[in-house]
Amino acid sequence: MATWKKLSLLLSIIPLLLLLAYGFKTNPREVPSPLVGRQAPAFALSMFDGSSNSLEALRGKVVVLNFWASWCFPACYEEAPHLEAAWQTYRDRGVMVIGVDIQDRDTEAKAFIERLKLSFPNGPDPQGKISIDYGIYGVPETFFIRKDGTIHYKHVGALDAKMLKAKIEEML
Amino acid sequence: MIATLGRFSLWLALAITVYGAFVSILGARRRQPAMIESGQGAVVSVFGLSTFAILLMEAGLVGHDFSLQYVARNASLDTPLFYTIIALWGALEGSILLWVWLLALMTLLTVMLERKRQRELIPYATAVLLCISAFFLLLVAFPANPFTTMFPAPPDGRGPNPLLQNHPLMAVHPPGLYAGYVGWSIPYAFGIAALITGRLGEGWIRTVRRWSIVSWVFLTVGIIVGGRWSYEVLGWGGYWAWDPVENASLLPWLTGTAFLHSIMIQERRKMLKFWNVALIIITFALTIFGTFLTRSGILSSVHAFSDSAVGPLFLVFIGLILLTSFSLLVYRSDKLQAEGDIDSLVSRESAFLMNNLLLLGFAFAVLLGTLFPLLSEAVRGVKVSVGEPFFNAVNVPIGLGLIFLMAIGPLIAWRHASLESLRRTFTMPLCLTIPGAGICWFLGVRGVYPLLAFALSLFAAITVIQEFVSGAMTRRRKTGEGYVTALSKLTSRGRRRYGGLIVHLGVALVVVGITASSVFKLEQEVTLKKGESFQLGRYQVRFDELSAWQEPHRFVVQGSFTVFNSNHKVAEMRPAKRFYPSEQQPIGTVDVRSTAREDLYLVLSSFAQDGTTATVKALVRPLMMWIWFGGWVMVLGSLIAIWPDRRRALAADQVEERMAWQPGRS
Amino acid sequence: MVATLGYLIVGGIREAAVYYITPTELKEKGPATTDRAFRLGGMVVNGTRRWDPQTLKLTFRLSDGKEQVAVEYVGSPPDLFKEGSGAIVEGKYVNSLFHADTIMAKHSEEYRPPEKGQASAKDHYRTLVKPPATQP
Repeated sequence: MATWKKLSLLLSIIPLLLLLAYGFKTNPREVPSPLVGRQAPAFALSMFDGSSNSLEALRGKVVVLNFWASWCFPACYEEAPHLEAAWQTYRDRGVMVIGVDIQDRDTEAKAFIERLKLSFPNGPDPQGKISIDYGIYGVPETFFIRKDGTIHYKHVGALDAKMLKAKIEEML
Repeated sequence: MIATLGRFSLWLALAITVYGAFVSILGARRRQPAMIESGQGAVVSVFGLSTFAILLMEAGLVGHDFSLQYVARNASLDTPLFYTIIALWGALEGSILLWVWLLALMTLLTVMLERKRQRELIPYATAVLLCISAFFLLLVAFPANPFTTMFPAPPDGRGPNPLLQNHPLMAVHPPGLYAGYVGWSIPYAFGIAALITGRLGEGWIRTVRRWSIVSWVFLTVGIIVGGRWSYEVLGWGGYWAWDPVENASLLPWLTGTAFLHSIMIQERRKMLKFWNVALIIITFALTIFGTFLTRSGILSSVHAFSDSAVGPLFLVFIGLILLTSFSLLVYRSDKLQAEGDIDSLVSRESAFLMNNLLLLGFAFAVLLGTLFPLLSEAVRGVKVSVGEPFFNAVNVPIGLGLIFLMAIGPLIAWRHASLESLRRTFTMPLCLTIPGAGICWFLGVRGVYPLLAFALSLFAAITVIQEFVSGAMTRRRKTGEGYVTALSKLTSRGRRRYGGLIVHLGVALVVVGITASSVFKLEQEVTLKKGESFQLGRYQVRFDELSAWQEPHRFVVQGSFTVFNSNHKVAEMRPAKRFYPSEQQPIGTVDVRSTAREDLYLVLSSFAQDGTTATVKALVRPLMMWIWFGGWVMVLGSLIAIWPDRRRALAADQVEERMAWQPGRS
Repeated sequence: MVATLGYLIVGGIREAAVYYITPTELKEKGPATTDRAFRLGGMVVNGTRRWDPQTLKLTFRLSDGKEQVAVEYVGSPPDLFKEGSGAIVEGKYVNSLFHADTIMAKHSEEYRPPEKGQASAKDHYRTLVKPPATQP
């Protein structure tokens, strides 16, 4: 077989591999979320431990707003330890981690908090107002809110430690 | 405990595969039988360890051990046992574990069956197979480890994706498909071994023939069952959407079919040697590519499991496979010269060559269509999608060409078919086909493509029947046997040929089914009040009532419909929607009434909450069953073709023995 | 033969390739878009989803945060199709109305979503088991 044929056969493999490698950069399922970049909707929460929180009170702090439910197996269970760890690491640096429990019952929610030993504030959203305002489609969803109250990033699905840390650092 | 044991067995298996590959190659180069045997022992150990891992995983699933992340994501307390067991292959990690196990099993079988007959090739083939196993074990040992744990363990799991719990065919489709994919590793390994040792004669071809057909059968079954699943579960009335992952399973099937046919030419006339090695490399690479597409998330699809670390690893593996295999091929290209020539355009060799080209062209078109969105975005930055219109426009003409070749190929003479022989063979079939096409015209078929599809399939079927009949009659003349005996002895003495003819008959049936069900399809969607009916084709469908009830793991809403044909009740149909509490979208269950003539397909699209109205989508698809039936015929034909023939095997073994003694040749 | 194949493929792609487009881009293109098929992606605008079971007409508006496009589809809405969530439609844009042949609603495996402001899907449809209290 002529040398040029041999070479071209082998070399033709390379563009194909490059093309497939390019595929990793694209995300074929993106549909835009309209909230990113806008002001985060205001909320007021009464926590399970009796205290309360509101978005205005947190102005000036970075807020990680996490929507969860006790029946959300296993994703909420996967990410809760990471949220707790982030809370421990960053609470002294002006970062607030807040959990909003939606479509749930208080007893189960408290059991969830107990089981996962969460110390960051968590509260229920009984009428679902907060989830409607934030356009919650499912659980878990997490919003990263900057110090000025605008939404930096919305994450859908369980968070891993790396992503959580990266997004918080971006806002600090 | 399960997790620790599981992880350990996978790491150990990985280490053993690497060891086994090395020792097999060293043993072959240094001609040390002890080392080669050690390599074969490694194969046994890997099989044992992977079986153990699978059993551990099933124990975790069935035992609802939610500390295992895979179990938490794919099983739940409510899921019925059957679906819990098959959740093993419901997601990425488990499905790769299945692949590992299947590969280990097939490697073991290969070694057991071939080590005496292929002493030269077996050590290298074993090494190749162990290297492939090493890659997949690497995946499950690290980025895609099914034994990852989570702490604390949640009290319940998510359960399988409802799409995977809706139909028992989910027990068949993935394993069947994987068996097909993995099966092609064996011929590939022997091909590489042949390239390495330079023994590129017919020895390796003979060895891989059966393996290739077996893999082909599994792949065929996997694809057809997948289509059937899609038809019965996804509720759109179709069975093939040219989805990237569907295409990925079709690609190795196409090139594998080319390989199966092409090796016959090498056996008979020692030609197309280069083609054959190239085809098996491509087929194997495509099986890995198929898995890569499913798992890497680079193309959106109904199937895609998305995972970040696994994709790049697959890409590297594919790159390695292609570069090393083709380098070897090029290096040995002088030994792959044909020992004969194509004498005439009208000959069996020529038909088979055309067959190779068409199948490869078909595969290339499918590949291009599948990757085009990626290509377009990479090169022009424009997001594009390529769907059914493209694939139909390109593939239908190619398909028609293939059916034509399928019809004439087995009957046309070797070397050169004289006009006389052509006339003898094809006059009768033509005489029957042309009126057949006329009948189709009268029945309302007007498009060129559908007419050709029907005509060519009919032509193919008639030529097959003609072969059986004339063969049987020849036997009768010689032996005076009865018709049935003659036919069965004929088939039994010529399993390859007559089995293959039956496969072609199956293909013709499938093509007729595909054509009729799309050309004559009727579809309508309508909202009905209780007691109201509508007409579709020959049927009147009346909506009777809506009922609902709770099952342990889901809530079901079902519509009851009575179907009449000219005022004569024919069926009661109950399409339903199933609501899984952990998912938002309900999964529809269609109800299909299949007869040899047509399918009536009902989907409950939506309904009013008070049960007074229902929206139903109905389809009538003629000859739909012919597709599934044709698939069975294909499988039957393949089984006949590979069924071992004791007398033949004995004779072949004697030939092998004699040849093994001859230095240099294989 | 290779040439025929090439011709088929190129022709096929040109005919059949469908472009992704956002509502803003679609509005910009204006009348030039009439004959081509497009895939339009966006969020379903709250309050615009209407379905008539008798005519099977589904109408709604898709938005990308800046522009909105009116869409019409004949057939029952896919199960995942809700206001405030993402969808991709495929079809043609004629006279400021997008006629969709297919709707693909956004789907992800990670989700376990509840009905907005309601109990779970299970409870929503449970009412079919008991007939409504006010029977005429």
